[in-house]
Amino acid sequence: MNEPSPPAIDVQVRVVATTEVAEAFFQTRLQVPDTTIRPGQFVQLRPRSQQSVYPFLRIPLSVAAVDVQQQTIDVLYEQVGPKTTALRHIAAGDEVGFLGPLGNHFPMPDPGADPVAVPVLVGGGIGVPPLIYFGTSLRSHGHEPILLVGARSANKHLPDRLLEPASADVRRASDDGTLGHAGFVTGLLQKALDEPLSSPIVYTCGPHGMMAAVARLCAEREVPCFASLEEYMACGFGVCVGCVVERANKESLPSPYGHYARVCLDGPIFDARQIVW
Amino acid sequence: MTDLRTNFAGIELRNPVLLASGTCGYGEELAPFLDLSRLGGIVTKTITPEPRAGNAPPRIVETAAGMLNSIGLQNPGLQGFIVDKWPYLAALDTKIIVNIAAPTAALHAEMAARLDDVEGIAGIEVNISSPNMKDGGMLFGCSPTASNEVIAAVRAATRLPVIAKLTPNVTDIAAIARAVVDGGADGIAMINTLLGMAVDWRTRKPILGNITGGLSGPAIKPVALALLWKVHQAVDVPIMGLGGITSAEDALEFLVTGATAVQVGTATFIEPGGAADIVAGIESHCAAAGISRVGELVGTLGV
Repeated sequence: MNEPSPPAIDVQVRVVATTEVAEAFFQTRLQVPDTTIRPGQFVQLRPRSQQSVYPFLRIPLSVAAVDVQQQTIDVLYEQVGPKTTALRHIAAGDEVGFLGPLGNHFPMPDPGADPVAVPVLVGGGIGVPPLIYFGTSLRSHGHEPILLVGARSANKHLPDRLLEPASADVRRASDDGTLGHAGFVTGLLQKALDEPLSSPIVYTCGPHGMMAAVARLCAEREVPCFASLEEYMACGFGVCVGCVVERANKESLPSPYGHYARVCLDGPIFDARQIVW
Repeated sequence: MTDLRTNFAGIELRNPVLLASGTCGYGEELAPFLDLSRLGGIVTKTITPEPRAGNAPPRIVETAAGMLNSIGLQNPGLQGFIVDKWPYLAALDTKIIVNIAAPTAALHAEMAARLDDVEGIAGIEVNISSPNMKDGGMLFGCSPTASNEVIAAVRAATRLPVIAKLTPNVTDIAAIARAVVDGGADGIAMINTLLGMAVDWRTRKPILGNITGGLSGPAIKPVALALLWKVHQAVDVPIMGLGGITSAEDALEFLVTGATAVQVGTATFIEPGGAADIVAGIESHCAAAGISRVGELVGTLGV
């Protein structure tokens, strides 16, 4: 599933603008030297000066949009801690440390399959951004993905204008029933998989519990499912071995050394059947 | 121009800056970001006699000016290291020190004997200080007797320089330092991580899967300097100083306090090319201060 990814670069990049796109959700646009980034890959940003030590580690964020003409990328994040707070306050024109692109990418549906699979993208909360870029890329390759989006409440939903490039068929769910389907996004997935879709293929990113439920639904129906995982991460390029996930097929591995896979380098995208949920 | 060449326990280093064990893997992942030939050397991630899966996640959490880790020495084992990791390392134009840990002194010695036959290894660093190993590591490093036994066993099994890596989690680090020197250690590396813990009061659970972990990063630099100063006064072997170094000035502080060389650790996670900047910074600071050989600085702290 891994075509070679572009080499990562370690540079300072300029913030073009940061805007609030939903309650406490921010979009930061960055001017980057190279926009060759594959959907599903992430970047490690350092929203502080190199001399400062707080916040200490970088913040890993997946890429939500790429503009090749303008040489910009967008990251979308919820302000939850010191790093997201520092990032949203970087003024337009100021710099942020940029390391990336990192990790693997979403595998495209097999174009030679008959029929070609229909991509169903299932995103929850802060997991939606990489699916926006992937959906956009799928459409440019002639696919018509369905995008299922879940959030706690209507005010936590990203606006239509951000989701439209990714899908002409966006379906929403909210935990509190204030927008779209009342309940979890997995309810929408269940309905979608009940439709007479020709061979669906599911891609998901969101909270662990949500993705575990998506993976279970897909496994029951023998639908392929690829999940973009998140773990506490230090380096983002494989040396610290901190951001690991347990592999499901341990018995088949030659040694215990491989029991845990690195989310940053072996992922973040995994075939949902190959890891322990 | 300042001469940065450094002899550490017989190992001829291009400069006194190495990458610390556990923060540079086995070199390969860092190569896109850092020209490893610009460094004095690299210390491999710890290898153990058999492959290890490591601890259950979460393994990492950020803390004030640092981080906790409980990786648990995930590694391919001695044989896996020699077959899969060593060929890449052997081709690098820098000194490679192999870090080892084992559950007994005898197994440490077996590993050292085996590594003695591998062409090109510059030295062995013995990890008697990991807080994340329930069957070794810090268990040895907290006892002068056990530290002495492990180092003596390794010393007897290899011709390579032997470096003992010490834990700060002890009452009297000078006593441990004397014990490893008595055991035949050619050098000391210090400090390994401080035992630490992070808690989520809402869930009333520890954050790390292993409950406790090792604290590293700038937060521990003052602790490292104080312990380095103590050990430098207690023993005559050269010391590699580490603990929270993120800049050339940090590195120079360690040299002045008594370190012959330094290791850059956690800083590499944030600045993968940072160790080379530290080398350049040491050179420019020394040149500006009229220091012709970096070794002139070592242990010159006036108290």
